Amino acid sequence: MASGYDRALSVFSPDGHVFQVEYALEAVKRGTCAVGVKGKDVVVLGCEKRSAMKLQDTRITPSKISLVDSHVCLAFAGLNADARILVDKARLEAQSHRLTVEDPVTIEYITKYVAGVQQRYTQSGGVRPFGISTLIVGFDPNDKVPRLYQTEPSGIYSAWKANAIGRSSKTVREFLERNHKDDMDREETIKLTVKSLLEVVQTGAKNIEIALMAPGKTLEMLPVEDIEKYVESINTEKQEEQQSRRGRGAGTTPGTGTAAILTRPTGESAGGQGAEGPSE
Amino acid sequence: MDTLVARYSAPPSQHQPLDQDEQEELMEALPPLSLKFALPPIAQPSSWLRTMTDDHANPNCPIKIAHGTTTLAFRFQGGIIVATDSRATAGNWIASQTVKKVIEINNCLLGTMAGGAADCQYWLAYLGMQCRLHELRHKRRISVAAASKILANLVYSYKGYGLSMGTMCAGVTPQEGPALYYIDSDGTRLAGNLFCVGSGQTFAYGVLDAEYRYDLSENEALELGRRSILAATHRDAFSGGFINLYHVKEDGWVKHGFNDTNPIFWKTKLEKGEFSNVTADLD
Amino acid sequence: MEVLLGLTGRDFVLMAASKAAMRGATILKASDDKTRELTKHTLMAYSGEAGDTVQFAEYVQANVALYSMRNDTDLGPGAVASFTRSELARSLRSRSPYMVNLLLGGWDVLGGKDVEVESETKEGKEGGSDAQDGKNGKAIKKTGCARLYWIDYLASQAEVPYAAHGYAQYYCLSILDKHHHPDIDFDQGMKLLKMCSDELKRRLPIDFKGLVVKVMTKDGIREVEFDDSAPVKSA
Repeated sequence: MASGYDRALSVFSPDGHVFQVEYALEAVKRGTCAVGVKGKDVVVLGCEKRSAMKLQDTRITPSKISLVDSHVCLAFAGLNADARILVDKARLEAQSHRLTVEDPVTIEYITKYVAGVQQRYTQSGGVRPFGISTLIVGFDPNDKVPRLYQTEPSGIYSAWKANAIGRSSKTVREFLERNHKDDMDREETIKLTVKSLLEVVQTGAKNIEIALMAPGKTLEMLPVEDIEKYVESINTEKQEEQQSRRGRGAGTTPGTGTAAILTRPTGESAGGQGAEGPSE
Repeated sequence: MDTLVARYSAPPSQHQPLDQDEQEELMEALPPLSLKFALPPIAQPSSWLRTMTDDHANPNCPIKIAHGTTTLAFRFQGGIIVATDSRATAGNWIASQTVKKVIEINNCLLGTMAGGAADCQYWLAYLGMQCRLHELRHKRRISVAAASKILANLVYSYKGYGLSMGTMCAGVTPQEGPALYYIDSDGTRLAGNLFCVGSGQTFAYGVLDAEYRYDLSENEALELGRRSILAATHRDAFSGGFINLYHVKEDGWVKHGFNDTNPIFWKTKLEKGEFSNVTADLD
Repeated sequence: MEVLLGLTGRDFVLMAASKAAMRGATILKASDDKTRELTKHTLMAYSGEAGDTVQFAEYVQANVALYSMRNDTDLGPGAVASFTRSELARSLRSRSPYMVNLLLGGWDVLGGKDVEVESETKEGKEGGSDAQDGKNGKAIKKTGCARLYWIDYLASQAEVPYAAHGYAQYYCLSILDKHHHPDIDFDQGMKLLKMCSDELKRRLPIDFKGLVVKVMTKDGIREVEFDDSAPVKSA
């Protein structure tokens, strides 16, 4: 690529790029997908889980969703190992904030802190940027407004109604743009999250993780059985839709856009080769 | 050539006035949280300060810190009343009769001043700066809990260095409602309904405790605050001057005057018949 | 003249701390709470040098919370006590040691005896305390037990069935020596605490403004209403 300008982190290319940061974004794109959706009084995080190897102990393999403080939750896409460091820094800051000003952190504050750390690693010598994007969700103390923020390796942070990061995040984001409504209730929000993940996750419930937060409550990880129910109901819905469409106009190609994705095998019917390449 | 030799043969201590350990020890002794001050070259700055300033034990002590105060603040249904006297004393000398002991941290937060005048003024101004920075960083007003904790952590980091302050932080915020905290230089921080601080605190407590209720009306509360300070200025030699009265409400504080105690005392005595131990007759 | 009391029973730990916050000759606050929750099941009660107490308790609280966050498990009361003691010991040898006396009580989920229970689900995941799956739908579970640690400002630590700090030691330990049994129930525990409180009110020369009482059980920490408003007559 641009010869020499991607060697040292703190060197601009002549056209104003910091290549190492852009490479970090590539690492994010290779990470498994994570989705965050805000509802009326709930905020849901969904993650694509890599299929486990046969001998892997899934019960104690770390999750991509982690708690930063009792009211703040973080999901990431990108390099697992980098995330651990960043999450730990965020946790330390959350406790330190409580200790020095009594109040727990606000979601914006901790987002800004995480983004700040990421930025620092793009501007000093001898370090490499974090190869992760994060979604930070939760509720501010004594507040009922759901919050959802994203941070990137460059240190940019932004607020969203719903967003996706990681592998195929563009597809998922476009899906969310089409289907997101304001003021969704708990069920609708979870369903939209699962549905959007199914756009890129072929193997269904066992490769999806869902976490949700409500004001004043602790993090709730949805059990696999519940996720399965959502997946099933979404699949039957889709089939019905397809059938009715086939009934109406036999021979016409089924719709545009989404249809291409709808034809993917669903969780239960996806035979042996469900696990695809071991993307980090 | 001689100068060159001299330069390179000089013992290392000449280049380094303090050895590494000593320097590190000095650095470690400084509280991590706060600003860095130059300290006197003495093993125990606080005990040295005490011997230099203890007017009680040694009336000829070289430094006389401004002390002696009555300050009070209490929560009630309509917000918070903050009242102080205005006398500053250095030893037995009245240094000033017009001290502003209520410190306006910002348009919603008040601090009071008891103990070392300089300590209070400096650190409450510093707190004001931190509050403004918090406001800019978090895009909303700092809670009274957070502001008081910043101050408490700050003075705690200087524990043993001879700071002397007893202060109250009062403010009304949408999240907390009326909130009142007591902070002193030992690092104590307490939330409460009612505090009196200073050499005249006992006299103020006496009047305030007897008639304090949470559902006081605004005028009753203002009058009680004023009367409590008056009581203290009457009995405590180190309190006096003017009564500085504030009322903190949700949309900011309101100042209710900086009034001479003398006419208020005589008005109270002659109109209400209180202070009967003082005679008004000249015969 | 601060009072700290703690006692264990069959299925609970009771802790009490005086409500007065004193400075010089003035009681600044009569509803002070000298305790901090460290985890869902452990509580720290503190007394000692003004400023140091809260700073130290909150420092430990934040570090224990950070541990839970990092490792997805709470520290047990024993571990919390060891950590607390080591932090005190470290500070004792520094320039400005914390002058804090502590009682640390908690319900130890992983303590007590083994019992066999019918496991409800195959994976046996209803509680945090089950050890492993038995062969025929049976699981081994711990009963849990009450723990109380006495720690002073010189970083001595001892696990005890009942404890006190300050002047309360002189009055209450004899009462507890006589009346305490390891398997008392909650009501008996409260009665014992009332005996102690009454004796303190009778004989301590300074009013400590009553006690904040908290109890730790398998369900967590709860504040207990403790009515000691009735005057205590001296003999």
